[in-house]
Amino acid sequence: MASKVGAVGEITRRAALGALGVGVVGVTAASWPRLTAADIPGRGDNSLSIVIQGTKADAAAREKLVADFNKVHPDIKVKVQAIQSVDWKDFFVKLLTMVAAGQSPDLVYVATEGTQLFAERLAEPLDRFVQRDAAVLQEYFDDVHPSLVEAMMYKGSLYQLPLDWNAANMYFNTSALNKAGLELPPEDWNHLDFRNLLSSMKQANGSDFTPYYWTNRLFGGVVPWLYINDTSFLKETKATGGRWLWDGFYKKDPSSKMRAGGSLWESPNALDPRVEESFDFLRGLVKDGLGVRPEEGGGNSLVGLFASGRIGSTPAGGYWVEGLHEAGMKEDQFDVSFFPQWRTQRHQFGTAGYAIMKTAKDKDAAWEFVKWAASKPAMEVAFALPTTTPTRRSMVNEALYSGKGPKHWKVFYDTLDKFPSTGPIPAPPQQAAVETALIKNVSLAVSGDQAQLKNAMKSLERDLDLALGRN
Amino acid sequence: MKQQRWLPWVFLAPTIAGMGIFTLIPIVASIVLAFFHWDIISAPQFVGFANFAEVAQSPTVQVSFVNTIVFVIVAVALQLGIALGLAVLVTEKLPNWLRSFFRSALFFPLVLSAASVSIFMKYLFNEKFGVVNWILSLLNIPSVPWLTSPTGSAAVIILVYVWQNFGFSFLLFLGGLASIPTETYEAASLDGATGWRKLVQITLPLLSPTTLVASVMAIISALQVFDQPYVLTGGGPGDSTRTAVMVIFETAFQRLEFGQASALGVILTIFIMLITAAQFRLSKRFVFYQ
Repeated sequence: MASKVGAVGEITRRAALGALGVGVVGVTAASWPRLTAADIPGRGDNSLSIVIQGTKADAAAREKLVADFNKVHPDIKVKVQAIQSVDWKDFFVKLLTMVAAGQSPDLVYVATEGTQLFAERLAEPLDRFVQRDAAVLQEYFDDVHPSLVEAMMYKGSLYQLPLDWNAANMYFNTSALNKAGLELPPEDWNHLDFRNLLSSMKQANGSDFTPYYWTNRLFGGVVPWLYINDTSFLKETKATGGRWLWDGFYKKDPSSKMRAGGSLWESPNALDPRVEESFDFLRGLVKDGLGVRPEEGGGNSLVGLFASGRIGSTPAGGYWVEGLHEAGMKEDQFDVSFFPQWRTQRHQFGTAGYAIMKTAKDKDAAWEFVKWAASKPAMEVAFALPTTTPTRRSMVNEALYSGKGPKHWKVFYDTLDKFPSTGPIPAPPQQAAVETALIKNVSLAVSGDQAQLKNAMKSLERDLDLALGRN
Repeated sequence: MKQQRWLPWVFLAPTIAGMGIFTLIPIVASIVLAFFHWDIISAPQFVGFANFAEVAQSPTVQVSFVNTIVFVIVAVALQLGIALGLAVLVTEKLPNWLRSFFRSALFFPLVLSAASVSIFMKYLFNEKFGVVNWILSLLNIPSVPWLTSPTGSAAVIILVYVWQNFGFSFLLFLGGLASIPTETYEAASLDGATGWRKLVQITLPLLSPTTLVASVMAIISALQVFDQPYVLTGGGPGDSTRTAVMVIFETAFQRLEFGQASALGVILTIFIMLITAAQFRLSKRFVFYQ
């Protein structure tokens, strides 16, 4: 033992430093894939790297999808990476940082909020691929409403095949309605009927009950109220072009004549009297305690509050069904209707699909994945639960909502069929800055007096000018 | 010995490399970027001082700097006042074991993530469903739009920030109080000094070096406030709680104007340096060293 202690005691400083050096080299070598970012999916090999918004669990949930794809294309390796984010705005910030760092993925699952940003700067048009594989894709376009496809067009080119979508419909807690002796409103109800309905619910339910809950964001906030009043906070025009798609795939569709090359939002419209009128209507709801003052964000606690009967109504899409079911709501405890009409009954929707990046290593392989993901078998795997609404009409059926509700689930797809002018979220390439400009002025506009509302509209116009880069 | 001249550099190398890569290079890059137009995707373009001129004229930038200054004045005053008061109370009135408990308990909020705390507070202060308004309703006080009115949201942000940060100043003051010789207080007692007089004429003057350090650190930290307003209110309603660092973030990552964001960063850094320099200059008149 003595000799061992002596041996330890004989370790020189040089030996200790040497050991430390070896240790540092060893740790560095072991961490090399991380330090060089070589462990990022798809980097360093020929894998098709796909980025989605979500958690690691969301990426893992796509394993079946990837496995099914590899049965058809065993030569294309696919890696899915999830980016966790608060909302789409946050997702795009993180993705742009990846792009700036030279870690651009090949495919990105992008919602309407980012379609024009990607189309303008990052994504590859799909036109040549779609035209090349027209025979295969005709079946897809036959099943998907043209409004959803048009939302993925920018200046005449198609950038994504829409796979899932959601409109801002109106959800009701049926218990709250029943307590007030009310039933689900008729399809042709209007904004004044809505106000009366909220008043009745308020009187019949307790003091801690909120008849109408809404959030302050681009989807489902103030925009649906602008759309039904035949206006928006941005001037909307249609880009020319796109006839190749409408005349090719939708020639039998009666609405194809009114289709064009996608929406453009290039100037603010906050000073339109109808915009002020819509804001004033919402201000009245807040003032009379019929609606909440909207906080910024997506309303994370909304499902729980709605399920517990503390909220009577809120705008949401088909994505809400699974959440309410998991929160314990029975199929007859909630229902959904169209948004009320005002000057029109134009609804707001958002959709999403894969965009091929301009920098994709193998665009043909990327297209094969996009095309396969739009096939019915793939979509049935991807959208097995009502966590969103599939873009294929044939998949929005009794089976999807069976045992979960709502009773009037047909409202989801009928929104497009009955109101063909229903339009996408107003999201120009400067979406993040535009959304910030909108959000920051909504609270002020609906929570003060008439003078404050007018000032908020002026401020919104000014902020939108800046956001759109017009100053 | 001559052979081992390299040895200190070996030990310093990791720190120098870390500081270089993670501090020095980003600072220099940020200063350089302030003179370019860069949207993260296209190649940067030299624009001279245009970014500085642009941000100086922006009403949002002007409002955010005013908001930040008001926030610093109120939050730092509260933070130092509460920390000092509690430090004096804990030192004078509590036994050792309880003092240790409070030292840990009051420091604890600082180790929590500001974003997590803010998310939690957002629930508490929700106008319709929050616990705070529910408690007020039990006292027949009408609900307050904490996060959706300019005054309410500013108050909540200051409250959350001070709650989370005063623990650090508290620890500094505890250390400062421990270094004041007890003989000074004993001599004052023999001369008939009361508690208040001892506080004003002994404690505060002898604590002034600690107060200087605490205030410099508190002001630098408060000038960079971001997490609380970003999570709690997103800068709203309107621009009422938008701070300078929030505007830097939005300019860079939402408007993709990285050059303008860098220019704002440079302006804020110069602003912080000027305030700190002013504090040290004033300290010659107000700080007493034993």
